[in-house]
Amino acid sequence: MLSRVADAVFWMARYMERTDNVLRVLRTNYIASQDEIQNFDWQLWVDGLGATPDSTVKVTNYHEALFHLVLNKENDTSVLINIVRARENARSVQDYITKEVWQCMNDYYHIIQDKNTKKLMLESDPVTAIDSLLRESVLFYGSVDVTMSRGEGYTFLNIGKYIERPLRSLDILELKMAEMERGGNEAMHWKYLLYSLSGYEFHTKQYKNALQMNEVVDQVFMNTQFPHSVLYSLQQVERYFKRLDSISLPEHFKEMEFLIGKSISNLKYGMNPQAGAVEIKALIIKTRAEIKAVAHKLATLYFGYS
Amino acid sequence: MSFRDFLSGYAVPPNVWDEMCDQGDIRSQYKLFFDSLSQDSSAELASKDDLAKKLFMSQGITFTVYSDGEGIEKIFPFDIIPRIITASEWTHIESGIKQRIKALNIFLRDIYHDQFIIKDGVIPASLIHSGGGFIREMVNVDVPFNIYTHISGIDLIRDSDGSFYVLEDNLRTPSGVSYMLENRNMTYRIFPGLLPKNNARSVKDYPDLLLKNLLGLSNRQKSEPTVVLLTPGIFNSAYFEHTTLARLMGVDLVEGKDLVVDNAKVYMKTTAGLKQVDVIYRRVDDDFLDPLVFNPDSILGVSGIYYAYRKGNVAIVNAPGNGVADDKSVYPFVPQMIKYYLNEEPILKTVPTYGMDNPDHFKHVFSNIQKMVIKKTNESGGYGMLMGHAADEKQVEEYKKEVEKNPRQFIAQPIISLSSVPCFINGKLQPRRVDLRPFALYGPAGIEIVPGGLTRVALREGSLVVNSSQGGGSKDTWVLG
Repeated sequence: MLSRVADAVFWMARYMERTDNVLRVLRTNYIASQDEIQNFDWQLWVDGLGATPDSTVKVTNYHEALFHLVLNKENDTSVLINIVRARENARSVQDYITKEVWQCMNDYYHIIQDKNTKKLMLESDPVTAIDSLLRESVLFYGSVDVTMSRGEGYTFLNIGKYIERPLRSLDILELKMAEMERGGNEAMHWKYLLYSLSGYEFHTKQYKNALQMNEVVDQVFMNTQFPHSVLYSLQQVERYFKRLDSISLPEHFKEMEFLIGKSISNLKYGMNPQAGAVEIKALIIKTRAEIKAVAHKLATLYFGYS
Repeated sequence: MSFRDFLSGYAVPPNVWDEMCDQGDIRSQYKLFFDSLSQDSSAELASKDDLAKKLFMSQGITFTVYSDGEGIEKIFPFDIIPRIITASEWTHIESGIKQRIKALNIFLRDIYHDQFIIKDGVIPASLIHSGGGFIREMVNVDVPFNIYTHISGIDLIRDSDGSFYVLEDNLRTPSGVSYMLENRNMTYRIFPGLLPKNNARSVKDYPDLLLKNLLGLSNRQKSEPTVVLLTPGIFNSAYFEHTTLARLMGVDLVEGKDLVVDNAKVYMKTTAGLKQVDVIYRRVDDDFLDPLVFNPDSILGVSGIYYAYRKGNVAIVNAPGNGVADDKSVYPFVPQMIKYYLNEEPILKTVPTYGMDNPDHFKHVFSNIQKMVIKKTNESGGYGMLMGHAADEKQVEEYKKEVEKNPRQFIAQPIISLSSVPCFINGKLQPRRVDLRPFALYGPAGIEIVPGGLTRVALREGSLVVNSSQGGGSKDTWVLG
């Protein structure tokens, strides 16, 4: 498979995963902001999710925040721009992905550009608007699953997805912890965190205690039955990467395999179940760096075509 | 809607051949189609029209206009009423195009080798060397199977008496075939059952025929040669076509940066290292193919690819240098070529053409400017031309000055009226002018033409310019069996 194509498929998957995660957080946050009496701090999320080094955007309400994070064409990290990028990547490999997947991306692009979506999002009910976008995102995952051949393209697509997902989980956890420091009911914060990661129901079934930090953190980092956990995602990266064995140059394969294995082991055996907030924050930073190193190595060894 | 309702208000301009109407009657090839159509109301047709637009949009069959860094999607306008060609008309077209391609191909072989045609005084040498289409680097290069024009698009028009004329030959990188395929896909969605009922011949073999020809060009003793399609990239207006063809043929779609030349062999960069490429169907123009040989600023091509080609290690389709044969000022000599090389009479007519470097022609053209169209020899897409009947005095004067500066760059032809076909516009049928571009494939086994082609239509009332850049659209083209 062409390196450029592998690269584009990988990034298409990352942008789509990012879109999905950000929309789920925003949906939860919007509901939280309607639920709470105190003012919801949208600025924190705008800075956290839409942060570019020179961003100076100030928001005071959910209208401005949702516009900036979802629909703003000027914001390099907005959902709209994510979808544009995902689609540009898809377009450059249109012959490689299936027609169904391409049409899905294309519909998504047209829906987020649609006037009605904007109207719904900013003037009427943002939840309906976000739900309609999330439906497109689910359709994308479905089309990939049902129509794409299980070749290299599918493998790189999944590696992209499972590299992006834990990065988003870590970001969201970090932002929630920052939010918590500013006050509010701790259990409520954890609840919304889990909602954002589609993991609340899972938590109530799996962990019998009332919501508490160490159990939530355990779920986000270590629970291999929770599809948004860091460990689960990394194991998926490992699982898909192993399929590349037959097509890889042996030395490249070994190098990557080592790096992925190391980050899994560090997580599995290096985490203190009783860790406090400070320790958890440090762990977030360390794990994030390790995942990024995996992505970087992959780009050098497999996508290096310049 | 009744049969009569359709025809009322359908006014064919005088001295125009209408593909459907013959002095108030419906031609036989359109009868079956119209019987089915008259069961629909105008509103139903409008909803079909709407469906077609939606399908094009959601399938991303669009071209992109870039402004402010953000792409604006436009669909290539599609008219739902098909253009229908009878079996006998097609036989005539097919044999005419085959004859023409055969002659042009021998001409290319000749012009880059012995140049008998010049030595025998059939074509002046000055014409060949002043046009810019002649590529010195191609001289004495032996191309596989002596085929230069693997894929050609021949533009045909129909004069008021119904006879077909060749308007121009496209022998470099003709585009539009994906619309031929997609328009057909659209027709069976909006008119279920009508294609088999009318016995319209299928066009879906095109990608298979093309792939078969491409595979046949490989120079390596290998059961599965590597074929790639080289595209300038996603910003190219024909990018959709490139992806469609690559997908339908199952070949890799590559950009210049995906290829590298080592030891006169071309490789593509894959996740598993370098892989040798045997055949390149390139949609990059000659000028941009190899910065070491042609335009040194090009980043679309591949350094050294031309050297690999000359060594015979890779086949490039179409061959570089075909511009010398489809130059508009060489066009009037094609009938002579057919006689000279094949000893046959041309089957398809050619539009009389005046080279503006001839002072007599110059005078004749400008004194009859109302009936003339002047074109630049090296431009296409409907750009840089002057339609005499539509221009005012000032425009004519300005254009005349342009021509005087470099008369070799211009030719003039009498305006051929172009046939009209019914189009569904604003809720009713209206006649609009069309041309036809069938696509001919020349492979080791001979020339094949899928029955059909791209019918381009000038959607503006009274317009004779069918190019998409000038407000043109397209239609599905049925060749009846």
